[in-house]
Amino acid sequence: MDPRIEDVELPPPGGPTADYEVALVSLNQWQLAWRRFKKHKLALFGAALFLAMIVIAIVGPLFLPYDPSFVPSFDSPFCEGSQTVKAFSGCPPLTPGHPLGTTGRLRLDLLVLVVNGARVSLIVGIGAALISTIIGTIVGAVAGFFGGLVDNLLMRVVDVILSIPLLFVVIWLSKVVGNGDWRVILLVFSFLGWAGLARLVRSLFLSLRTEVFVDAARAVGVSDTRIIFRHILPNAMSPIIVSTTLAVAGFIITEAFVSFVGYGVDPAVTPTWGNILTGGQEFVGQGNWWWTFFPGVAIVITVLGINFMGDGLRDALDPRSRE
Amino acid sequence: MIKYIVRRLIQAIPVLIGITVIVFVLMHLQAGNPTDRFAQNPRVTVEQIEAFKHRWGLDDPLWLQYFKWLGVWGDKGILNFLPGGTLNIFGLALNLPGGDNGMLHGDLGFSITDGRTVTTVISERVLPTAILAGTAYVIWITIAFLAGIYAAVKRYGFFDSALTVFNYIFFSMPTFWLGLLLITFFTQGDPLKWFPVGGMWDTRTVPEFASGSYWAFAGSHPIDALLDLSRHLALPVLTLVLVSVAGDSRFIRSSMLDSLNQDYVKTARAKGVSERRVVLHHALRNALLPVVTNVALEIPIIFGGAIATETVFSWPGMGRLFIEAVGHADYPVLMGILLITSLLVVLANLLADILYAVVDPRVKYD
Repeated sequence: MDPRIEDVELPPPGGPTADYEVALVSLNQWQLAWRRFKKHKLALFGAALFLAMIVIAIVGPLFLPYDPSFVPSFDSPFCEGSQTVKAFSGCPPLTPGHPLGTTGRLRLDLLVLVVNGARVSLIVGIGAALISTIIGTIVGAVAGFFGGLVDNLLMRVVDVILSIPLLFVVIWLSKVVGNGDWRVILLVFSFLGWAGLARLVRSLFLSLRTEVFVDAARAVGVSDTRIIFRHILPNAMSPIIVSTTLAVAGFIITEAFVSFVGYGVDPAVTPTWGNILTGGQEFVGQGNWWWTFFPGVAIVITVLGINFMGDGLRDALDPRSRE
Repeated sequence: MIKYIVRRLIQAIPVLIGITVIVFVLMHLQAGNPTDRFAQNPRVTVEQIEAFKHRWGLDDPLWLQYFKWLGVWGDKGILNFLPGGTLNIFGLALNLPGGDNGMLHGDLGFSITDGRTVTTVISERVLPTAILAGTAYVIWITIAFLAGIYAAVKRYGFFDSALTVFNYIFFSMPTFWLGLLLITFFTQGDPLKWFPVGGMWDTRTVPEFASGSYWAFAGSHPIDALLDLSRHLALPVLTLVLVSVAGDSRFIRSSMLDSLNQDYVKTARAKGVSERRVVLHHALRNALLPVVTNVALEIPIIFGGAIATETVFSWPGMGRLFIEAVGHADYPVLMGILLITSLLVVLANLLADILYAVVDPRVKYD
């Protein structure tokens, strides 16, 4: 059924023949998509999880008593063991003052670390997804629209990038040029992560550029740039949006791993969900499970939310793709 | 078909050269340097550092270093790219004009860390990675197939819903974190401790893996050796399987659903073909088409996934070698690993296209 006429009040069957007004609401494709998205409960839930994480990342640190590098005191009555044990393995969750416990060795508060870590983890994930989408869209659009030599050249570059195992290069470059700075690491992710999307956008443009509305635009003398960005691109937006959403999840996990192995964001400067885990690794076998558990839970909740949202967006933006 | 394969292989050459050029240039943008480890050592003089640089060719211009690494320049000058060494034909020793060093001659240089050849360093790690990734691959593909097909056939049933929940959770989980969770869990009690949380062999009872004495041990105590290996394999394989089944079974399920909705399946049912035959012969065959490509393309991804798993479980494979080499700024090893894995990607792409033609008779290459 056409979603546009769902809300129209129909006359009661066999009712009066009196005039009635047809309240035909005209909705554009985004309003329609939003209407479909709203019906997808899991997607709404996912979007809520993701937004909650963003809100926590922005305002969370303001509500916490100290910043991530503050070392809380030893003397919590509920933290069992001798001073040395406490100093070594940290306090368990639910210790007063430390709801998620403290890390081993430095005894940093885990809640503070995880909430502060959300900032860089999310910025890197969202930022890298946006920048790589912009690069990928432009490259794909140019290749698909102009075709010929330009297309051939750009697609060979894409072939090369897609043939390199990206995780290897990301780790290596993050270490080599990143130097622990999250801004550089964000750029490294962006400049390596656009190739897959470029191929997708190119294939969309290849088929869209033969449409009649493109010929019409050309006939009235619209410039190439305007045809690409104002006439064709809006028609290719749906897959691009879905792919960007899912890319956020991918980049969050990649950042976590790169920082975890110690070649990503410097834990001494900025905590991220990944680099909090680095120190926890040697403690997992020694009773301090909470150190690695909670940062990971934060990653899983965020990524899960994004994946729910991505699936909902796919169904909402492209109703044909529904199973 | 053969013509097609040859053409694809030739097309792969510029891609591979592109890979080496890009990686080689990027590598030299770095701040880290192999001589960094001498910087803090008061007993190493500046002259010694210069000598070290000269010895390893680090003072050559970048393009020359690349050509030397590639093997198109070297001891024999420009002729170096030709095959070198001595050729014995019926007792006649023939000296070939080319060189014998450089990538084109299968020589990937020396590891800066320990001075052995890169091929030796890497080949030591191939077997452990192949054992880990291969075992995991076989298990996860089998499970993903069975689960995906069953879920599609009993759509919206209990199993299907359970699989969806499982897929969402494990698809959203970073592989290395799942590994850490398993380690936490399996170090808790006594029966759980039976599965070791790191390494590939029990250092107290078993000699180093793949060493001469290991094979001797495996020959005399085959059951002990196998048991020890499988105990160490259990957790890393479980990690890889959980994460990968989540992605693949979802894909197989939706492919199978597409195919079950086709008209020919309805026709087969209408003709009275048994449900079993409809699923296994009519639907499955066509559902396999996209799946086979996907499965072939996953072969190189194993190595990416194995990086995380190998790091967490201290598995002595390629992924861990890469992490170690990044730490030591050991370029030749890094280049070697990247080259081999990129080659794997290119070959896997080719394999996927060939398999596609094998399973789908409508596809013809010429």
